Amino acid sequence: MNAVELNKVSKSYRKDFWAKKISAVSDLSFTVKRERVTGFVGPNGAGKTTTIKMIMGLVFPESGSIKIYNRDYGFPSSRKGVAYLSEQPYFYGHLTVVESLRFISELIGLNRSVISKEIERVLAVVELSGKAGSRIKELSKGMQQRLNMAQVLLGDPHMLILDEPMSGMDPPGRRLFRKLFSELAAKGKTIFFSSHVLEDIEAVCDDVVVLSKGKLAFSGEIESILEKGFLGTEMIVSLLTPDDLLFLRGLDCEVTELDKGTFSLFVPRGGNPGQVQNLLFSKGIEVLSIVRRTLPLEELLYRNDGDQEENKAEIRRQEISGRGAECKP
Amino acid sequence: MNSILIISANTFKETIRNKVLYNILLVAGVALFLSMAFGDLSVFSRAQVMADFGLATMSLTGLLLAVFIGVGMLGREISSKTVYSVLTRPVTRESFILGKFFGLFATLMMNFALISVVFFIFISLLGTSVKPSLSWAVVLTAAEMAVMISAAIFFSSFTTPTLAAIFSISFYVAGHLNNMIGIGAEQQNSVIWRTILKLLYFAFPNLDHFNIRARVVYELSIPEGYIAGALLYGLLYTTLLLSLSILFFSRKDL
Repeated sequence: MNAVELNKVSKSYRKDFWAKKISAVSDLSFTVKRERVTGFVGPNGAGKTTTIKMIMGLVFPESGSIKIYNRDYGFPSSRKGVAYLSEQPYFYGHLTVVESLRFISELIGLNRSVISKEIERVLAVVELSGKAGSRIKELSKGMQQRLNMAQVLLGDPHMLILDEPMSGMDPPGRRLFRKLFSELAAKGKTIFFSSHVLEDIEAVCDDVVVLSKGKLAFSGEIESILEKGFLGTEMIVSLLTPDDLLFLRGLDCEVTELDKGTFSLFVPRGGNPGQVQNLLFSKGIEVLSIVRRTLPLEELLYRNDGDQEENKAEIRRQEISGRGAECKP
Repeated sequence: MNSILIISANTFKETIRNKVLYNILLVAGVALFLSMAFGDLSVFSRAQVMADFGLATMSLTGLLLAVFIGVGMLGREISSKTVYSVLTRPVTRESFILGKFFGLFATLMMNFALISVVFFIFISLLGTSVKPSLSWAVVLTAAEMAVMISAAIFFSSFTTPTLAAIFSISFYVAGHLNNMIGIGAEQQNSVIWRTILKLLYFAFPNLDHFNIRARVVYELSIPEGYIAGALLYGLLYTTLLLSLSILFFSRKDL
């Protein structure tokens, strides 16, 4: 059984009563597998937030079906054990941090006897224990985002649906969230999160769903897509003799001197990096690092898209982090 | 049922922390105090003036509460998207609307209880006992306000807070002019105007059913079964308006 299943879902909007309808999502079908981390990618206006809102029952599709653990999304019980994090944190301004968490705990049906302990736990996880009695409007934006995440963690949900969870986060916040995602993934939680920061997707996701102009562009395992863009293996070594260099070049290995005494050995796709590694080992040459070089995820995700250049430009504009064209291990 | 109570409690907390409520209570206090002063200027007894002023104050403060807090409450939840934190949980939209209604109605009851205590103390200070009809007048005003809160929620379920406030006040005025609309319809020669006025007559509740102020002030008897009939009328209208609110809100994209 899949965690989420969308089948030919369409939704269009009208800006005002007389305006023409604009399609937000069209004929969209994909699945989110249980106990996996799935990234939901696409440029602004691709329909990510609309899709997530439909899954959460905030917006109604015009056609198609949405199932959460095989139950129609229209049943509130389908959202039991499912937590949602909106792109912007929305809180009741009249409540304090603890009151807000208590309110959500009661709504999700937590037993009154465990609520206080659960609140303490989630506040510790998001490192907000010292702010328990503060008014929400007194918190910084980053802290509000953490509180938003604390609400999501209440009751230990089995699925988390997160809309741009790291949007507007400061670097320590991003690090905290990434660590948290890894821990939740290790616990077997199903995580479905949208982001336009591909570095985040690549770092934590098992699967990826790509949306472009309201239509599905790609859906599958991130490994399979990265494998398609595999360029070769790069090893950084030190202290190579001229004889070693000659031998390595004979193995179709591209050797580049990076610095005095430091070399990059690049074994292209189809080559035998194991053989090169064995040779280096037998000669006692120190290998400083080994990295798998792939095409940037950005290029892989949008290479089959008709509007590739436009989308890539949009993605570049949106990327907050300064990720260059360097390949990731 | 549990989620209705949780949402009601949160709404109650929200409204009692709202500064508007205290301004309304201040207005009520000033009005009651002035009624003591005006008592000497009137041909009626001070107790009669006090009763008239007190009930009118409750009606006015209830209306202000229903319109300014009631309309803003649902509209603000939608525009500020705080509704997301509730409706993405296993909570139905029906529970949300009912929770909002009961939360605001509880605030109104607390407000009425406070004003009533002050009001009844003032009346006792004038050496007059608090008659049961006065208490029934307060109960009927509360029933009228239940209708007004549900109307405010109904209008804000499909339109903007500003329009919902205008519609709610129009609803209140039309509700109190309902008898006149009915008489006007009977007197019309034009078929079109008669039909329009009759439609308005049946579309709006007759809010004067909840007004027994004149009977209380002039110490007239209240017909047997009148109170129960008016309360049932209020209950039916409140149920109808809340059902329509749920119908609209359940189909609304948020």
